[in-house]
Amino acid sequence: MNSGRGRWREDAELTAVRAAPSLAAAALLVCLAAAPARAQDSIPPGGVRVGITYTAGTRPGLVVALGTAVGFDSVRAILERDLDQSDQFEVITPPGTPGRPGDAPDYRVYRAVGADLLVTLATAEGRSDAVEVQLHDVRRGSLVRRATVADAGGAGGRWAVHRTADEIVRWVTGRPGIAATRLLFVQNGQLWRVDADGAGLAPVRAAGWPALSPTWSADGRHIAYMAYVRSGQPIVIQDLESGEREVVPTTEYGLNITPEFSRDGARLAFAHGTEAGTDIFVYEVARRCCVTRLTVGRFSDNLSPTWGPDGRRIAYISTRAGAPQLYWMDADGSDPEVLGRFDFGATGQTNGPAWSPDGQSLAFHRDVGGTPQVFVLDVATRAVRQLTGTGRNEDPTWAPDGRHVCFVSTRSGTRQLWVLDVETGRVRPLTMSGGARLPAWSPRLASQ
Amino acid sequence: MNDKPVRPRVRLSVPTCARAVLPLWVLLVAACGGGPQPGAVTPSAADSAAAAARRDSVAAAARRDSVAALAQRDSVAAAARADSVARAARETARADSVRAQVQANVTGESAPVRSGLDSASAVELSALIFFDLDRSDLTGASVAALDRKLRILQANPRLAIQIAGHCDERGSDEYNLALGERRAAAAKRYLVEHGIAEGRISILSYGEERPLDPGHTEESWTRNRRDEFSVTVGAR
Repeated sequence: MNSGRGRWREDAELTAVRAAPSLAAAALLVCLAAAPARAQDSIPPGGVRVGITYTAGTRPGLVVALGTAVGFDSVRAILERDLDQSDQFEVITPPGTPGRPGDAPDYRVYRAVGADLLVTLATAEGRSDAVEVQLHDVRRGSLVRRATVADAGGAGGRWAVHRTADEIVRWVTGRPGIAATRLLFVQNGQLWRVDADGAGLAPVRAAGWPALSPTWSADGRHIAYMAYVRSGQPIVIQDLESGEREVVPTTEYGLNITPEFSRDGARLAFAHGTEAGTDIFVYEVARRCCVTRLTVGRFSDNLSPTWGPDGRRIAYISTRAGAPQLYWMDADGSDPEVLGRFDFGATGQTNGPAWSPDGQSLAFHRDVGGTPQVFVLDVATRAVRQLTGTGRNEDPTWAPDGRHVCFVSTRSGTRQLWVLDVETGRVRPLTMSGGARLPAWSPRLASQ
Repeated sequence: MNDKPVRPRVRLSVPTCARAVLPLWVLLVAACGGGPQPGAVTPSAADSAAAAARRDSVAAAARRDSVAALAQRDSVAAAARADSVARAARETARADSVRAQVQANVTGESAPVRSGLDSASAVELSALIFFDLDRSDLTGASVAALDRKLRILQANPRLAIQIAGHCDERGSDEYNLALGERRAAAAKRYLVEHGIAEGRISILSYGEERPLDPGHTEESWTRNRRDEFSVTVGAR
C-alpha cells in the first residue's frame, strides 16, 4: 500500500521543525500530530490525499468552527475569511456553533449542512496564548491534521493565522494559499501597502513624490519603484525593514519607469526614456554592477518588462509597429517577437503585462472600444481570453498562487483594487477608498 | 541642484565597478545626448564609442554652420570637447545630487526661477502647446507657438528652459509616462533643430500625474494633453 509519498515527506519536514523550535521563530509553530494513516492506492491526478480525495477544480464544502478554543473567535473569523478568499472551498457558515467545549465534533451535524471538511480550533495543551487548528474529514469522521499557532492572540498573531490558513489550503490542495501576502499600490502619488485580505493598510515612505510602479523583490524584503525627486526620476530599490535606498545606476538621467525583479532576485529590468525613445535595460542587482540595454527602439517606446519564471524570456510592451502591443524576447534582448497581436478595429492598445508565477499565462490590459479590459494569454497556445467587461479594468498583478489577479477597476464608480479568481471568476474588492492604482502582489511573506 | 551634494549617512550604493567607469560613462552620455548605451559598459567600448560620438557631435556642429565650420574645424572641435567635458562634470554632479535627494526624501518640486523677461515674453515663453490623442507630433498651432518661443530664446542666450510633457487620463498610466516624454522631446527637437543649444533645454514627463483640468470630459482631456514650459536659468 502506497500512502502518498508527497504527504509523508512533508510530514518529515514539519517534524524537523518541531525538533528544532528555534527554526520556527516566525510565530507559526507547526507541530503535526500523527494523522491517522489512511490507506490509499495512489494520488489522484491533480489532487492530494488528506483523508478525502481532493480533485482540482472542485470546491469541497468547509466549515470553520470554534471548538474548544473559546476566546479565539477572531482567529476563527480570520481563518474562515482566508479560506473563503482562497476560492478553493465552499465555505459554509452553519447557524450557531455546533459542538460543546471538550467534545469531539459531531460529524453528522456538519455532514447535514454539506461540509466535506471541518476546521476546528482547540485550546493548546498548557498554553493560553496558543491555539491548535485541526482539520477533520467530515465524511470519514476523523481528524486528519493539526497545527499549533503560537501567539495567536499576540502582536504577530494575525500573520500566524494567515500562514496557518495557507497551510490548510496546502494540506487539501497540495499548494499553499495566499493569505500571508500583501500588495503595494499607488494612491495620490504615495506608495501604500495592504494585506491580501484588505487589512493592514499603511503608507510606505518613498524617496519622492509622486512615486509610481512599485514592485517586489523575490524574497519580499525589498521593493523597487520610480520616484520624482527634484533633479530626476530614478528607479529606487528600498529595503522595507531598514528603509535604506539604492538608486539604480544610470537612472539618475532621463525617464525611468516600470521596474521588475527577476524571479531569482538577481536582476532588475526597467525602461529608460530619452529624447530618442524608451528602451528596456537590465541591472545586475545581485552583483550590484552593470546595466545592459536590451532594446533599441529608435523613437519607439519599449516598456513594462515582465520576467518569465525561469528568467530566460522577458515579455514587454513595444510601439515599434505603431500602437503599443505585447512582445517577448530573450533576456539578452535577442529574438524579439510579437506575442499577442490585437485585432485592429475590435481591440486596441495593449499595456501592463504581468507574467504568471507558473509561467503559463500573461495577464495584461487591452482597449476594447476605448476602455481597457483585463485579458489573459495562454503562453503555449497564444489563446487570449477576456476576464473583465464592466468599467475600466487595468494593470493586473498575479498572486503567488497563479490563480488570483489583482487589478484596478472603476466598476463601483471609483478607481479601486479588485481581486479576481481566474478559475472561478469570483471577484471581490480589496480597497475601499478611491484612486488606488498600479498594484503589485508580494510573494508569500514569512512574517509581517 | 545648486546645493553642495550632501553625503548621506547611509552607504551610497553605487557599485564600485560603475564608479570606475562613471567618468567615461558620463562623457559618453553627454556626447550622445543622454541615456545609457547598448551593451554592458566596459572602458574600452566606452572609449571608442565616446570617440565616435565626439566625431558625430563635431559633424553636427559642422552642419549647423557649414561655411564657418570648414574654416574653423579645429576650433569647433576644441569647443565641442570643452563643452562635453563641462557637461560631463554637470551630469556627474547631477547623479550625486539625485542619489543624495533619494536618501533625503526630496520630492519633485523645485522653486520657480525668475525669468528676467518682460511680461509679454514671459507669457509667450510659458504658453502651453497641445497634442492630439495618443500623438506626440507637433500641430500647426504648436509649431507657431514654438516659433515665438524660439525668438525669445534666441534673443536671450542665457535663458534655459524645461519642457514637461503631460497626457490625459485615458491611456495606461505607465505608457503615458513614455508618451509624455515623447511630447516633451518633440518640442525640444524642434527648438534644437532651429538653432537652440541642446544644453539649454531639459525635458521631463509627468504622464497623467498632473492634470491641468481635473475633469473627465473630452474638453478636459484636450487641455491635459500638453507641454508646459518653465524657466530653469533666467535671462539675466
